[in-house]
Amino acid sequence: MSVREIEYRDALNEAMSEEMRRDKRVFLLGEEVAQYDGAYKVSRGMLAEFGERRIIDTPISESGFAGMAIGAAMMGLRPIVEFMSWSFSLVAADPILNNAPKMLYMSGGQFGCPIVFRGNGGAGGQLGSTHSWCVEGLYSNVPGIKIVMPSTPYEAKGLLKTAIRDDDPVFFLESERMLGTKGEVPESEYLIPFGQARIARAGKDVTLVSFGRPVLFCLEAAETLAKEGISCEVLDMRTIRPLDIGSIVKSVRKTSACVVVDQSWSFASPGSEVAAQVHAACFDDLDNFVHRVHTVDVPTPYATELEQEYLPSARRICEAVRACLYRA
Amino acid sequence: MTASPKVWAILAMSTLESTQALTSFDVHGAANPSSAPSRRPGAMVSAELAMHLLRQMVVIREFEVRCMQAYQDKKIGGFCHVYIGQEAVAVGCTAAIRPSDPMVTAYRDHGHALARGMSANACMAEMFGRVDGCAKGKGGSMHMFDREHNLFGGHGIVGAQIPLGVGLAFACKYEDEVIHERKSDRVALAFLGDGALNQGAFHEAMNLAGLLNTPAVIICENNGYSMGTSIHRGTTMGHNLAAKAAAYGIESAVVDGMDVLSVYESMSLICDRARRESRPAFVDMRTYRFKGHSMSDPRKYRTREEESQYEAGDPITTMKGRMIEAGMLTNEAFKSILREARAEAKASVEFAESSPVPAITELHTDVFVEPWGRYTGSSDPKMLGGARREPSFRAIENSEGLS
Amino acid sequence: MPSTITMPRLSDTMESGTILKWYVKEGDPITSGSVVADIETDKATMEMQCFDDGIVSKILVATGQQVPVGTPIAMMTLEEDETDATAPTSPVAVSSAEAVLTAIPLSDHQRMRVSPIARRLADAAGIDLNAMTGSGPGGRIIKRDIERAAAAQGVSAPSVTVVPTAPAPIAPMSTSRVVPIVSKGRSELALAPEGREVALSGMRQTIARRLVESSQQIPHYQVSMKVDVDALMELRTMLNGQLEPQGVKLSLNDFIVRSCALAMAQHPFFNASWAGDRIVIHGAVNVGIAVSLPAERGGGLVVAVLRDADRAGLRELSENTKELAEKARTRGLSIEEMSDATFTISNLGMFGVDDFTAIINPPNSAILAVGSAIQQAVVRNGQLCVGTEMKLTLSLDHRVIDGAMAAQFLQTVKHNLENPATLLV
Repeated sequence: MSVREIEYRDALNEAMSEEMRRDKRVFLLGEEVAQYDGAYKVSRGMLAEFGERRIIDTPISESGFAGMAIGAAMMGLRPIVEFMSWSFSLVAADPILNNAPKMLYMSGGQFGCPIVFRGNGGAGGQLGSTHSWCVEGLYSNVPGIKIVMPSTPYEAKGLLKTAIRDDDPVFFLESERMLGTKGEVPESEYLIPFGQARIARAGKDVTLVSFGRPVLFCLEAAETLAKEGISCEVLDMRTIRPLDIGSIVKSVRKTSACVVVDQSWSFASPGSEVAAQVHAACFDDLDNFVHRVHTVDVPTPYATELEQEYLPSARRICEAVRACLYRA
Repeated sequence: MTASPKVWAILAMSTLESTQALTSFDVHGAANPSSAPSRRPGAMVSAELAMHLLRQMVVIREFEVRCMQAYQDKKIGGFCHVYIGQEAVAVGCTAAIRPSDPMVTAYRDHGHALARGMSANACMAEMFGRVDGCAKGKGGSMHMFDREHNLFGGHGIVGAQIPLGVGLAFACKYEDEVIHERKSDRVALAFLGDGALNQGAFHEAMNLAGLLNTPAVIICENNGYSMGTSIHRGTTMGHNLAAKAAAYGIESAVVDGMDVLSVYESMSLICDRARRESRPAFVDMRTYRFKGHSMSDPRKYRTREEESQYEAGDPITTMKGRMIEAGMLTNEAFKSILREARAEAKASVEFAESSPVPAITELHTDVFVEPWGRYTGSSDPKMLGGARREPSFRAIENSEGLS
Repeated sequence: MPSTITMPRLSDTMESGTILKWYVKEGDPITSGSVVADIETDKATMEMQCFDDGIVSKILVATGQQVPVGTPIAMMTLEEDETDATAPTSPVAVSSAEAVLTAIPLSDHQRMRVSPIARRLADAAGIDLNAMTGSGPGGRIIKRDIERAAAAQGVSAPSVTVVPTAPAPIAPMSTSRVVPIVSKGRSELALAPEGREVALSGMRQTIARRLVESSQQIPHYQVSMKVDVDALMELRTMLNGQLEPQGVKLSLNDFIVRSCALAMAQHPFFNASWAGDRIVIHGAVNVGIAVSLPAERGGGLVVAVLRDADRAGLRELSENTKELAEKARTRGLSIEEMSDATFTISNLGMFGVDDFTAIINPPNSAILAVGSAIQQAVVRNGQLCVGTEMKLTLSLDHRVIDGAMAAQFLQTVKHNLENPATLLV
């Protein structure tokens, strides 16, 4: 029996709808989520099914509605907050960074914050500098947050269901560029645990570590490199926090070489963190330092050609792998 | 004490309903040297309640005095903001709500915690950074949390707690009406200082409260100063905050926050309406802090004359006078209240000093409810709770992860 | 009741304060909350209030004086209407920590560049890095260079990354393949009639470095025990007679290996490593056997490893040992075959050595030195008779194993050897 294929956005929709049917504490709020049926049609049809008490349109007021949802989560509800773009979450930095992740700690364990913030992250659509944020570089620095980056419709659904059931704040970073991507998603219910990487492609010469959309670039690069006789193992980390360093270590001990591909800026990024952890755990196993492929360290440009050069790409990944294996 | 607890008396109340000036030094409105606080007959209050209000204010006052002392003795670290002068607000407001009503406040939060029912011991131990503190010494002076008494925190960032308060109200309504399918009759209180009026969070929260009709009572403890800047130097329409609320479609009231009876009675009415109609309200609570913004504030921005004028309207003295007048209290009885409160405050310092410092292991707890997520896809007990130190080798293939 | 008024901390950064003005004098009554002095802090001039009701009994610090926070500045007598537990605060010394400049060593530009895994593989294979030129950037020696050099030397190419057997990912196991050496052995090279210099092979350098490290860092001590091997010799003769047609010839050493492996499974601290802040107990029982190499292969010693020795029968152990020793002396052992010993046996019995002590092969916690089985006069059951005895000497890491534990281990080994049927089943 073949598994059906659905779009990434519908996988997200299914995850939210299934969880809302299961648990009345779950509700969705954000800009254009209800009457408009979702700015990117992720919440398509949900107003009709769940009504305006549970699918709530908010004004353009990220700081306000993020804070309000956090208050509701402290009371025991399980809000899903949609940021139309993670770029807009910056105006809600205080509630999402100063309140949600610290509440449990500051209250000595009395008040948790079971909340999901989700929306589009990353560049690639000529949106210009202000709308192209890869917030994982900023936000993964903060303890108390779980950060999820699904790379396929299958991961999107299974991870979002896990996120909604999680008792801690979860930042769920989707990609506008992937919303229309189709992939196999089983009809039967499944969940994907946090902190477990997926071997997207097995190999023996080099370990490619990535998160979210760049996993696809890694797979593309692995195809090219295979023709040169280089066998790449591609790890889709699925969550940045918690980070499944164990799987990375296991793979690097086998390959002795590691390239991290991360769509955020290089300075103090998830990629630099992975590199530091690999250097510590696999020092004696490495044949070269961990190589990294990031977006270029400049604001996101508008022009297509510049933007493509700015982003991690299969070409830049291939170059990094060859350099790491002394084959440049 | 001469009055029986069951005696009810009509206590006079001052009112600021028409935004009259309180004194010749009026930090809130236009200066109006000739006007004095107006008094009206007031409400029927039981001796029991009156005594409760008075006692709580005295306890907070004495507690704050010991906080200042402990801070100066370097036993309390960081920042410390005392509530002396504003006691009537927290005491009157909390007396007007039910235990099930959630409440959130800003960083000047010791008074709210004590008024809500937190023990002086837990509050002081928190400031000393000890395990018996309300948050095991992880929160500090600005972050008093008390789940048992529905206090959702003191919050250190100016204005940040206001959207949270609207969220508490939203959740009350959602829980009652969507989950339990019954009429909601809870309210949530969100306190802020007048300095927070100019934070975006205030305006966003007001708009959402008005838009979504959340039963949030948003109380501006208007003491006339945002840190060292007077309200007129930092806030437009400072003399008429009701105008701000009106812009968001929210009804408001001006209340004399130096009179605990006014606070209690007004808040009872406001909260009743919010419960009944499931709508927000805004309160311009006129008050005055007798001490500096924090412990290191020399108060150069205001005159000693202004301070003494407000000190003459000390909420404790006022309430004490009214009760004596009504035959509910004697000077002797008041002295004994004072003595007990002072002993309780001093005992809390001793308690805090003898409470153990937190174990270093506490550093790592309470970061996550479940560090690796509730759903682990495994029955491995090591994965169910506690932070894992060792990397574990768990890369899984494409097909795995199906439950 | 007297009470002390101390210089208050009036800001989060204040260390000391100056009294600008006293508002009270000795004998004045004061009440809680009243202002008693103006204090100049690092930030501002602040009013100082008192917290209790009473009478000022003494002014200790005059106007204009600066004192550290916590210093008593006045005394007061408290009103006697309450229980008071306020204790005077003792003055706090203000420490002015001085920054100490630390010299930063200049980096060593002459440093040899080797990738971490290349260094590890070279160590394991006994390859001298000094003699190599790296093909990586700036002459860095990389994995591929070691693989080539190993192939050229005839050592099995270390193409497979060594994976530690221990479950802990950072077990120290992976760092050493040390060659144990007898402490009083005579060097063949010293027999040369005239003095000359001998260049050190990679293996000799490794032996030197590791054993110096071992003897310097591990608190060694020795425990010896004699074993009566008459029954064992008898059994061995019988078994070898019966198995001869199958080409099996068990050595005394095979019995010792089996006996030790069983004892290790029973005494887990003999299958353990010191790891700095903890002891790592290994899962697999891997017994290392010291094998001396012939002069034509450059001499020296290697440790051949019998993996999961506690699960192998005598016959299998015997065959594996022979095969490994043969391979070590002819073609050389692979990295795999020299890796991950958790205990080592050095047997000089065949050279007629009565007894000796050995240096521990890190990260092992113990090494067994085996002497010759010697016929001698012994007392058995009160009778003087001829018996065969062999002396076993354990060298131990006292950080992991204490004396009594060593004695118990030896008793188990002795019991196994003196009741050799236990080794068969």
